[in-house]
Amino acid sequence: MSDLSIRSDNVDVEQIMRQIRARIREKRGVDYTEEEIRELANVKLEKFLDPKGVRSDLLQQYRQAREASLPPNYKFEDTTLFETHRGLLRFMRKLLNPILKLFFNPNPLIEALHIQSKLNESHAAMEPLHYELMHNLVIELTRTSIEVKNLKMRLESMASRLDFDERRARALEGVVQYRPGATTPLQPPTGANDLDVEGNERRQRRRRRRGRRRGSGFGRDESHGGPGGPALARNEPHADSGAPSSAGSPQSAQESTFEPRDSDAPERTPES
Amino acid sequence: MKLAVVVQRYGADINGGAELHARYIAERLSRHASVEVITTCARDYVTWKNEWPAGVDQINGVTVRRFPVSRERHPIDFGRRSIRVFDRMHSVADELRWLESEGPASPALVRHVERAAADFDFVLLFSYRYYHAWHLARRIPHKAVIVPTAERDPAVGLGIFGPLFRGVRALMYNSPEERAMIQRASGNQAVPGIVVGVGSDVPSRTDPARFRRTFGIHRPFAIYIGRIDENKGCGELFGYFRRYAAAFPRGLDLVLVGNAIIDVPRHPRIHHLGFLNDRDKFDALAASDLLIMPSYYESLSMVALEAWALGRPVLANGRCDVLKGQCIRSNAGLYYESYEEFVESLYALESNGPLNTRLGRNGLEFFERHYAWPVIERKYLATFEQLAKRQPVASMEALPGWFARRQRHLEPARDVLARIPSGAVLPANKARPNDPEGDARRSA
Repeated sequence: MSDLSIRSDNVDVEQIMRQIRARIREKRGVDYTEEEIRELANVKLEKFLDPKGVRSDLLQQYRQAREASLPPNYKFEDTTLFETHRGLLRFMRKLLNPILKLFFNPNPLIEALHIQSKLNESHAAMEPLHYELMHNLVIELTRTSIEVKNLKMRLESMASRLDFDERRARALEGVVQYRPGATTPLQPPTGANDLDVEGNERRQRRRRRRGRRRGSGFGRDESHGGPGGPALARNEPHADSGAPSSAGSPQSAQESTFEPRDSDAPERTPES
Repeated sequence: MKLAVVVQRYGADINGGAELHARYIAERLSRHASVEVITTCARDYVTWKNEWPAGVDQINGVTVRRFPVSRERHPIDFGRRSIRVFDRMHSVADELRWLESEGPASPALVRHVERAAADFDFVLLFSYRYYHAWHLARRIPHKAVIVPTAERDPAVGLGIFGPLFRGVRALMYNSPEERAMIQRASGNQAVPGIVVGVGSDVPSRTDPARFRRTFGIHRPFAIYIGRIDENKGCGELFGYFRRYAAAFPRGLDLVLVGNAIIDVPRHPRIHHLGFLNDRDKFDALAASDLLIMPSYYESLSMVALEAWALGRPVLANGRCDVLKGQCIRSNAGLYYESYEEFVESLYALESNGPLNTRLGRNGLEFFERHYAWPVIERKYLATFEQLAKRQPVASMEALPGWFARRQRHLEPARDVLARIPSGAVLPANKARPNDPEGDARRSA
């Protein structure tokens, strides 16, 4: 997860929210939203259910095994109970059928067996689809578990890097926030840092020149110096302890980059 | 100056939003004027059962006069009438019966205030949707100043409240969003209205370490303070937080403060502490990294203001116009409208110490500029002064006649509400009319 960059002391919440939304949009390249995952799952399921798109040896083996082991389906119609190859017997049964119906009603039995026969048929027709689905689920699961293993390894590596970064950020933050006499770590972007660097160079050049002058035998006491002397002396402590040191620190740069905070970090005191 | 504050319930131990708001305002204004609180004997906002004795009492130096409620609320009857007026074509009579059913019906209170109105300069009516506010605003419109405490719920779309908002002396709104909603619903732009809100008695010193010691919470945490209820968005918060906790094993914990109406999930990183006293509450807030406000409907979040007063940033539900507007105007909080935004915003606040500090600092400035007690008191007193100088502009519209009142020609209140534009009210310099992300829908 990348970090937010805040470029000024005046935080703009809308700007931050825009950054956050942009980051979410970026992440969707590799990371899906819930809706997208659902959509993808639906698409894949449809693909599984399309028998044309699936070729499976496992399926054929299964079919052969099933056909060898299962008894054939039994067709059951309303005449099945009275069927016989002997014409006279068939006639007698038909004749006595009303008497049989005096003892019990065979119609529900016939109907139930008929339905069962139809169910067996449809179940047999669904078998290939079920097994295509199962076969492809096995493949997908294998692929996913491999991917999970890879992701776990990447996560571990990232976690260790993150830990290191956190510790480093905490250390830097602690140094900048709590160093006595240092300027506020969060400076508004004034674009003054470049100028400060140039100013330092100028001051260092001036000091070198003054050093050379002193060394060349002028021997003047600095406190009683010329028009520029006292002013320079006043400026020097500020220049040494303030801007240059903070300009060199990472927190005082125009852009402060914020990084994760350690869970065992020192507690912040409330503003109140 | 003599003021009356009329509110549905009143007590030192009542922590409901509008009631607490009324108590704070009464106590603060009593430093500048003679204030009398007039309320009912009810303590429970669901049944309005008379629990306190009728008569005069003193609470924190303010005189409180209580009147009995004539009948308790029957939830089934109220639910049936709510469906009638919110979801179906209905009549003015239906709405009046709904108001009666909602309660707390106290004709004695209304009669007393009407009789004593001459003794008061102004009568502050808290919560527009209750029986006392509607009846008193109609009877003494020239003295009535309403503090609507209106949320974006269908009651705003009821026809009986339009004349109320157009006929009173003034309205003291809690937020620009509330003002925009009521003005749009009732067309009361001519009535003086000022966004005031309410302050909070935030202690000058807090002790976060004491809180951590007392409750044994040692990890950084986000806090939620309030009733733990589905209506407050807590269900969604739990779902989001559990996913966040799974994704960020070293992230923030969630501490919940308040009474639970729904089950709090058992999770090693969710700590429910129940109801806390003010000291513990403020210490907890000071110890937290941020406050989460998952509520969809708020007129003004006092807890958010308290968090800002303590320099803590807020993570609010962006679907609540008021909270989102406050976050943007104060630059002191982030908001979310989906899980992805929740987790990214929480991560930004948690991981980004300087951002957290800056938002907190902005919150503190925002609180001091708009919600510190001197500011609130000054706004109230200035409004009263101005109102005293000028004559009432509007008059209360009469109710329709007997037959007209019974004609079912009023639209379902929910449909009326749906037509009222939603969204945060932004300052003119921030409003972007064609904002693709829908942040700016109205310009203040």
